[in-house]
Amino acid sequence: MKLNIMQTVVLAGVVLAGAAIAVTTLERPPVQVTQNGYRGVGMQQLSNPRLAEAMAARNQAPQSIVSVPDVGPKAGQLYKNVQVLGDLGVAQFARTMAAITAWVSPEQGCNYCHNPNNMASDEVYTKVVARRMFQMTAALNTQWQDHVQQTGVTCYTCHRGQPVPAYNWSEDTKPPRLAGLSAGQAGQNMPRASVGSTSLPYDPFTPFLEDRPANIRVQGTAIHPNPKVPGTKETEWTYGLMMHMSTSLGVNCTFCHNSRNWSSWEESTPQRMTAWYGIRMVRDINANYITPLTPQWQAHPNGPEGGPVQARLGHEGDALKVNCTTCHQGVNKPLYGAAMAKDYPALLIPQSR
Amino acid sequence: MAEYQNIFTRIQVTGPAYPGVPLHPTDSARQPGIGHSHLLGMLGDAQIGPVYLGITGLLSLLLGAVAVSIMGLVMLDSVNWNLWQFIRLLPWLALEPPPAAYGLRFPPLNQGGWWLIAGFSLTLSILLWWVRTWRRAVQTGMGTHVAWAFAAAIWLYLVVGFLRPLAMGSWSEAVPFGIFPHLDWTASLSIRYGNLFYNPFHALSIVFLYGSTLLFAMHGATILALGRFGGEREIELALDRGTAAERGGLFWRWCMGFNASFESIHRWAWWFAVLCPLTGGIGIMLTGTVVDNWYLWAVEHRFAPAYPVVYPGLVDPATLPGAKP
Amino acid sequence: MAMLSFEQKYRVRGGTLVGGDLFDFWMGPFYVGLFGITTVFFSLLGTALILLGAAWGGTWNPWLINIAPPDLKYGLTLAPMREGGLWQVITVCAIGAFVSWALRQVEISRKLGMGYHIPFAYSVAVFAYVTLVVIRPVAMGAWGHGFPYGIFSHLDWVSNVGYQHLHFHYNPAHMIAVTFFFTTVLALSLHGALVLSALNPQKGEPVKTTEHENSFFRDIIGYSIGTLGIHRLGLFVALSAGFWSAVCILISGPFWTRGWPEWWNWWLNLPIWH
Repeated sequence: MKLNIMQTVVLAGVVLAGAAIAVTTLERPPVQVTQNGYRGVGMQQLSNPRLAEAMAARNQAPQSIVSVPDVGPKAGQLYKNVQVLGDLGVAQFARTMAAITAWVSPEQGCNYCHNPNNMASDEVYTKVVARRMFQMTAALNTQWQDHVQQTGVTCYTCHRGQPVPAYNWSEDTKPPRLAGLSAGQAGQNMPRASVGSTSLPYDPFTPFLEDRPANIRVQGTAIHPNPKVPGTKETEWTYGLMMHMSTSLGVNCTFCHNSRNWSSWEESTPQRMTAWYGIRMVRDINANYITPLTPQWQAHPNGPEGGPVQARLGHEGDALKVNCTTCHQGVNKPLYGAAMAKDYPALLIPQSR
Repeated sequence: MAEYQNIFTRIQVTGPAYPGVPLHPTDSARQPGIGHSHLLGMLGDAQIGPVYLGITGLLSLLLGAVAVSIMGLVMLDSVNWNLWQFIRLLPWLALEPPPAAYGLRFPPLNQGGWWLIAGFSLTLSILLWWVRTWRRAVQTGMGTHVAWAFAAAIWLYLVVGFLRPLAMGSWSEAVPFGIFPHLDWTASLSIRYGNLFYNPFHALSIVFLYGSTLLFAMHGATILALGRFGGEREIELALDRGTAAERGGLFWRWCMGFNASFESIHRWAWWFAVLCPLTGGIGIMLTGTVVDNWYLWAVEHRFAPAYPVVYPGLVDPATLPGAKP
Repeated sequence: MAMLSFEQKYRVRGGTLVGGDLFDFWMGPFYVGLFGITTVFFSLLGTALILLGAAWGGTWNPWLINIAPPDLKYGLTLAPMREGGLWQVITVCAIGAFVSWALRQVEISRKLGMGYHIPFAYSVAVFAYVTLVVIRPVAMGAWGHGFPYGIFSHLDWVSNVGYQHLHFHYNPAHMIAVTFFFTTVLALSLHGALVLSALNPQKGEPVKTTEHENSFFRDIIGYSIGTLGIHRLGLFVALSAGFWSAVCILISGPFWTRGWPEWWNWWLNLPIWH
């Protein structure tokens, strides 16, 4: 076999390019694996320690502020217009406020929500939002323990030191050209991080994570067909949501399911229960806490007057809402399960509306 | 030893091109172009062409071009006619069938109408190409085995894109045209209809897929290993058994107690290859039309293994009292 | 029936790899040889152990028998027999039988003056198996990463290992392997059909020759690879299918722990797009 120069160069180029892609894009062993099913069934979680370091650095819980004794007059008696947290002693109240500032607006400080000349005033809209978020946090920690367990959540679980949580979603179903050739098939066939770079429908949030959600369960429940059940296209939406859940938590499908029979609870893991409640919790958050605040953000689409300028609404004018990534940010327990909430007792008791 | 590895043709003789066996009086002429490629000659025959186009070939190519153009234009539209992004995103782009709401009706063009037109053109193109394989065999006096084998592949194509959607009452069940999107469809079909691995016709199809690969590896290797005896002269050896055919047969007789002949190995090959799409098509045809959940079907027919329960007591939370749906 | 009319002159001694003329004889149609003995030994032992596993597992239904590998906690050590040790011994038997079979093919090739293409081709299949049950488990640090021996249980393993990577169809090596598999079936059907159509022509026509085969394919697609080339191509695509299958599972886990769709981000993020 004799190749001429040109052919040799082309062949060598293809081989080298393939090798270069493989070396630069793949990971390397050893890897860490945990088994979460019967042996040989292949239910396992994979991780690579070389990736875990960067992930750990991004998900560290901040130091808790030194605790103070709950003495002295109640904040609600001392200050005006304290609709939540009024039962705290003033020292504890001040400590909690300091923590919130560190979690949500560390650069902007107290004035991000308060008029410094009149701390009781609701004139800064972010104070109204913050109050509602306080009620939400307390509700999550008291009513949604099926999902947040005893760990609970704080503002930091989502905010991570930023006024707007970095991971949020808003409606995204419009095609690039409204009457174009491809208008009717918008919403999929585009690699998006929301569905782990597949071509699956990339906004599974609008149908599944709001009020009056579509049915996630698409798999046939009987041997023979039932004309009412959904089809393959609907399954792609469910698959899209599941891609989002997996990539948000840094786990794979077998964390919850035995893929040979997805719908079976007997063959699933306890994590699937937690996830089931998580989906309902997120719907509660979006439907009852985030979306009702939309008028506040419509009035201030780029945030408070003092800046910094940052969009508070999505392309379609809807609020920036919550999905799994908002808290989880790549790990199956947010902040690796750091129990921050227990240091702030106000977050663990229901707050009146 | 190394002389007979027979991986590449080491010496190529260049002579006048062979114009092909005489055409039937009712045929049109072959296309005039004939070329030679030294590179192809290393692997097989160096001669390229002459091709017989004919009216079916011409129409088939035209309709195929129409189908591919529609797919390309719709995909281009989905990236806002940005050619650079079209190249970047091509594996993800698709021409999707209509949404389920349209059933079997003809939807607006940008709601799947283009999918129907492209699919119709492509199907017509493929069927015309099939006619061509049939016609060329008949016109040159050969058997129609190629056409029948091609028909098996067309069966699978028609099942996934036409017959099953028809039976399901909705074009939305059909496969999208697109590289990654058709893979998403495949995975979703399996998830929706309860795990295709438990579909016995899918299993048979895989058996014939792997079986065909095994057979071609065995057959190809046998013929190449008989290179020094002229084992590639299969037709001559099938009619008049020479030492290559004797040695090839004896190899497998001694190895596994059984051997095919130089003709019958091609019958084995043909059936394995044809049964792969044939059984696969049956399996898809039954999915959603007759069986809605293959795993549950397997449980009923006692071929789904059971494993020890690892997490006892897990129940569907939607069935617990007070649960939100 | 032990001997075909022309067989006698081919049944010659010699050509063995080791052991001289030890076991250098035929039984019925079978050539025995030293590696025939080892093949039988490993096959019988392995089959007996599978039956033992079936007895332990409590089912004789062939679709349900499942010999599972050990739990991951045993790492690369030997597990108790009832907790995956059986799988380990059966794996040793399977590899012993497969390698013996390949070596036996070498000896038969030598006796018949043939090239070693058949044992080489078979070795690719053995390599794919060894990748699944030895190379990849060792790379991941536990025998428990092998697949279970059972007709449908191994499919459950395939399913779950696939979904460990969220969507296995996006594995680039899997794409290449599947493409080679489908191409092999296409090429095999065309080759089989072409030979049959030449040997079984239209009624009243004489049997056709290679000239007709070439003309038919040039007429149809403008190229005929020829009688020798089709076997080279067929062997290449078939072995490539097996080879890339091994690659696609070897990289899943040891060299990639995330979803396969995500792997394609390198392409999306190439600097040329911006």
